[in-house]
Amino acid sequence: MNTYWYLPAILLPAAGGTFAGLFFKNEKAVRVFCGTVTCLTSALAFLLILSGTEGLLEVARFSDRLVFCLDLTGPGRVFASVSASLWPLTALYAFEYMDGDPRFRSFYSFFTLSFGVTLGIALAGNLFTLYCFYEMLTLSTVPLVVHTHTKEASRAGRVYLAMSIGGAAFAFISLVYTVVSGPALPPSAVSRVFWLFGFFGFGVKAAVFPLHFWLPKAAAAPTPVTALLHAAAVVNAGVFAILRLTYEVYGADLLAGTPAQAAALSFVLFTVVYGSFMAVREQHLKRRLAYSTVSNLAYMLFGVLLLTPAGLTAGLMHMVFHSVMKITAFFAIGAVNRHAGIEYLQDAEGLGRRMPVTMACFTVSALALIGIPPFAGFVSKWYLLAAAADAGTPLAFLGMGAVLLSALFTAFYTLVVVRKAFFPVPGAVPARREAGVRMLVPLVLLAFASLACGLAGRYFYNVLAETVSGIPSEQWGGL
Amino acid sequence: MTLLLVLLPMLAAPAAFFVSKTAASRPERAGQAGFLLMAGVCAAECLLAALAAVRPELAFPGTAGGSMYIPVLADQGLLFEYDGFRRVYTVVLPFMWLMTSLFSPEYFKGHQRTGRYCFFTLMTLGAAMGVFLSGNFFTALVFFEVMSFTSFPWVIQEETADAVRAAGTYLAVAVIGGLAALMGIFLLQHELGTTDFSALAGALQRAEHPGRIAAAGGCILAGFGAKAGMFPLHIWLPKAHPAAPAPASALLSGALTKSGIFGILALSCVLFRDCVPWGVLLLSLGAVTMLLGAVMALFSVNLKRTLACSSMSQIGFILVGTGVLCLPGEHAALAASGVLLHMVNHSLFKLVLFIAAGAVYMNAHTLDLTALKGAGKGHPVLMVPFLLGALGISGIPGFSGYLSKTLLHEGIAEAAAEYGAALTAVEWVFLFSGGLTLAYMTKLFVCLFADAPEAAAERKDGHAAQPAKAAAGGASGISGHPAKAAAGGTSGISGHPAKAAAGGASGHAAHGFSMNPLSATALWVSALLIPLFGLAPSLTLERVAALGTDFFRTEPLLPGFRWFSFGNLRGSLVSVAVAAVVYIFFVRKCLIRDGKYVNRWPAKLDLEDAFYRPLLLRWLPGFFGALVKPFAENRFTGGLFRGAVLAGRFLARCIAENRLTGALYRAAVRAGGILARGFSDLPDALVLLLRNTLFRPLKRPDPGSPASTLSYKIGAIADRLDPEADPGRHPHASGLYERVRAFLHATHNLTDSLSFALLLLGLAICGILIYVLVLRG
Repeated sequence: MNTYWYLPAILLPAAGGTFAGLFFKNEKAVRVFCGTVTCLTSALAFLLILSGTEGLLEVARFSDRLVFCLDLTGPGRVFASVSASLWPLTALYAFEYMDGDPRFRSFYSFFTLSFGVTLGIALAGNLFTLYCFYEMLTLSTVPLVVHTHTKEASRAGRVYLAMSIGGAAFAFISLVYTVVSGPALPPSAVSRVFWLFGFFGFGVKAAVFPLHFWLPKAAAAPTPVTALLHAAAVVNAGVFAILRLTYEVYGADLLAGTPAQAAALSFVLFTVVYGSFMAVREQHLKRRLAYSTVSNLAYMLFGVLLLTPAGLTAGLMHMVFHSVMKITAFFAIGAVNRHAGIEYLQDAEGLGRRMPVTMACFTVSALALIGIPPFAGFVSKWYLLAAAADAGTPLAFLGMGAVLLSALFTAFYTLVVVRKAFFPVPGAVPARREAGVRMLVPLVLLAFASLACGLAGRYFYNVLAETVSGIPSEQWGGL
Repeated sequence: MTLLLVLLPMLAAPAAFFVSKTAASRPERAGQAGFLLMAGVCAAECLLAALAAVRPELAFPGTAGGSMYIPVLADQGLLFEYDGFRRVYTVVLPFMWLMTSLFSPEYFKGHQRTGRYCFFTLMTLGAAMGVFLSGNFFTALVFFEVMSFTSFPWVIQEETADAVRAAGTYLAVAVIGGLAALMGIFLLQHELGTTDFSALAGALQRAEHPGRIAAAGGCILAGFGAKAGMFPLHIWLPKAHPAAPAPASALLSGALTKSGIFGILALSCVLFRDCVPWGVLLLSLGAVTMLLGAVMALFSVNLKRTLACSSMSQIGFILVGTGVLCLPGEHAALAASGVLLHMVNHSLFKLVLFIAAGAVYMNAHTLDLTALKGAGKGHPVLMVPFLLGALGISGIPGFSGYLSKTLLHEGIAEAAAEYGAALTAVEWVFLFSGGLTLAYMTKLFVCLFADAPEAAAERKDGHAAQPAKAAAGGASGISGHPAKAAAGGTSGISGHPAKAAAGGASGHAAHGFSMNPLSATALWVSALLIPLFGLAPSLTLERVAALGTDFFRTEPLLPGFRWFSFGNLRGSLVSVAVAAVVYIFFVRKCLIRDGKYVNRWPAKLDLEDAFYRPLLLRWLPGFFGALVKPFAENRFTGGLFRGAVLAGRFLARCIAENRLTGALYRAAVRAGGILARGFSDLPDALVLLLRNTLFRPLKRPDPGSPASTLSYKIGAIADRLDPEADPGRHPHASGLYERVRAFLHATHNLTDSLSFALLLLGLAICGILIYVLVLRG
């Protein structure tokens, strides 16, 4: 397809979201409209990906070095396809979850809008464009975080906004450096320091340890937002930005084996263990999953920062699989939240009797997250471990230990929920009251997807490895 | 076809679940349909497996050789293999499942949630088949993990407090063991590039880091050993088996432990064949497991716990055999046959014994031995199979256990001739444990079938004195057990069991015993195999043993092994003597007081409660606290260290509660605010500065008063117009005058600064002109 088709993929949801926010009064109409726009955009995105469209589309040129351009490269395809498959499902889920919400217009409007921005990140042709969309993503998702207008939500929104903007400022420093220092960055310590700026800047969205705490707080948002944005789209955007910054702007050769890599890796490894340990301690179900996301994002970064093709592939693979698994878990917990009003772990006794299908899907995602074969998490963790073992550095071995320890913690923090849900200590057993079909359809589909992804793991890996092999090292600095 | 063996039960599982669910809506046939479907599937599976065993070429039609590779999951993919050993075990497993499913309808009568049980039982069958058919460690691990999780609902099925606790232990061991195995298999894959059983031995020759291979072996051993019930990872076993329903206990004990053994065997035969340290490791672990299990079984006062500990002990026998197998020498063939036969035999014994125990439990609703005294008296339908199982497991000549134990014993004896005293010690432990086996089986048999039932009054006392022990033994399943389950018997002598059940852990024998024909068939068919195998070894077990040679990579056993020679009978006789001494002088003297079976096992001697739980739940979390304590109490470094600890704790708390980052963030915001305010005021300050320096208007001489004649005159007129004005006042004091004056003054200022600015502009233009015309030109 022509590269001009990049534009509607971004503009259609952006315009649709704005339009819905401005002109619709009726909840049903908004749903139909936004659902249609989302589906159309997804279809367009998949057409772009499957037709193998590629090539640079220059949208605006500010100066010789500052160009706003779009391109569909390997990792971008992966990120775009994840977003495009999950958005319509989440929209369907949201129809039930947000049913009767008084501020439905702002929700659907920004929800659709942020789809366009996310696709913009996936389609970004250079760091400058990526940066622009990255900032836009922050702005377009803040209204979703503060949606409920509770004190907790507005605090979460404030923290989220401040952290993201602050992080982006750091990333901006890195951006300026790459623009000023020209396409080929000097392999010096200065470059590495600026890379670290970029890493921690984008690391805010990827929830790297000292910058992670907005994520559990953001669990105050409505579940479709937490599930899609804070388990898949936004946080993946952070990982994605780091990935492109590392491999395509600075280049793996610049960083491999340097203290900069070691510094970033040690933060990431600490996050792996820290996130899952905090998840074990956390009693609020959604925040528990949010901490789990913190840990899992660090898995991806671990793969990415190994700076080997295998590591990158494994990191990308975990990005895809984790999105599927975690969104399932969030959907299940959200359904429980909506229909049973349960937010804390201790109230989960007997939930499996009350909502068997929902909790069965949660169980599947729990097993997948731990890494039980044949579910998705097992395969991505296996490849991640394999990549680490091949890298062979002491930090990589340490990382293997961290991943296994974290898997153990994962078993603790997910299986406790399963145990309480299905095997309650004798007592009153609630009557069966299952979630509605609009919630169950995405849930069941995604649960099966976890299984299918696991079984077809080898195929996925080969596809991703091929995608990754196409990354032109150090080409991307040419802004 | 092999793939079908794995997939058939897994695909049938949902069907069984839904059938059971729909049937449950009709109370009179609650859950029965699901069990029947399950039994049908197991029977089909059994037939399929038997067909494959008879015609091995059917196992992988269309593929060359005895293996099949399916490229799914990670780069290893699933590899299935089919050889003699698999031929045996793919038949044994569905047979066990079939027998337990025949027993299940009666056992589960009146139980809740049987659909779940059917579903997970069939899933576990598929997974267990997968483990045994696997051709590489990767496949074994995949199915092993699946099996661990699908068997978890068995343990927790009853949902009593004990069951929940036991299930928690089971799950923790499964998860940690699974991770250990994963790590080991991963290391193996990384070091040798393959985990295929057929390729590993070759790859081992090229190994660069033998240490890592050993580490991998240790990890895998821990993973599979945990499932097998190997010391010191046996903790789940004595708790999970009594907590699970009896049919599930039979499978847990008879089949699932064997899948752990399968992993250890694969490891031993492929990687560590002829590796003396490995053999010694297995021998010592096996000897401890064997002895500890037997001693625990002897002390136990709970029927199923005794059987569970017995399983552990028998696993110890198998591990010892595996250890001997790994020592290089002629005895390998003996040990290999012994291991294989004892695996098969043990599966069979535990099938019989647990079904019998289940039959006792569903009639008496207790597992406590004192309460069960005489429970089966006068019921040959139960007594004969139980006796056959007991004699078999004790290794009495004429029953199948004798054959496998003899082979194992001969193997150890031959190895002892080669390796000396250590092996002789193992041999004695072996014979002693064999004796203990007979002793605890005698204890059970005498209790169930020979002791006089306790009189009603005594029973009450006993009941009052017992509860602690009963609870410890896991017998408190009664509370979770619906009373109507007792009303189950289809054939006859039911008496008034419902009342008895409601009364708690009391009476049974007085109320008779019932068992429906289906259950009895299952029990008898399984039990009759024991003497059949035992009496005709050359027709049955010898052939089975011959099938194992491919897998064990040993020479076949020499034909014409003299099973009943005096040398071979001697071991059995030693065991019988030991058993007689132990039973008469220990069991009857110490473990029975006033006709009650008392629990002499120290409650503190529980590896799980004494070590693992505190380790995971208290010690590891408190590790750092304990680490700093001795230093903190030291007077010299105390202050310093305490300071450091406090700082560390403060830091940790900051990190934990985001205080540090929060405070940093707040400080940054505040600093930013100050800076921003500074910057925003900067232009004002600059303007002020400039106004007061550069652009300060020149001080004009005070024109004096009047400022001008015009203003003076206007002021005077105004004053006159104002009636309230003080006539004596200076005309300049008029408000209007002041205002007009201020206006004029301002205009002066304005014109002054404007002119100044114009002047500067002019100068600047001149400068630019000069620059452009002169300097550039």
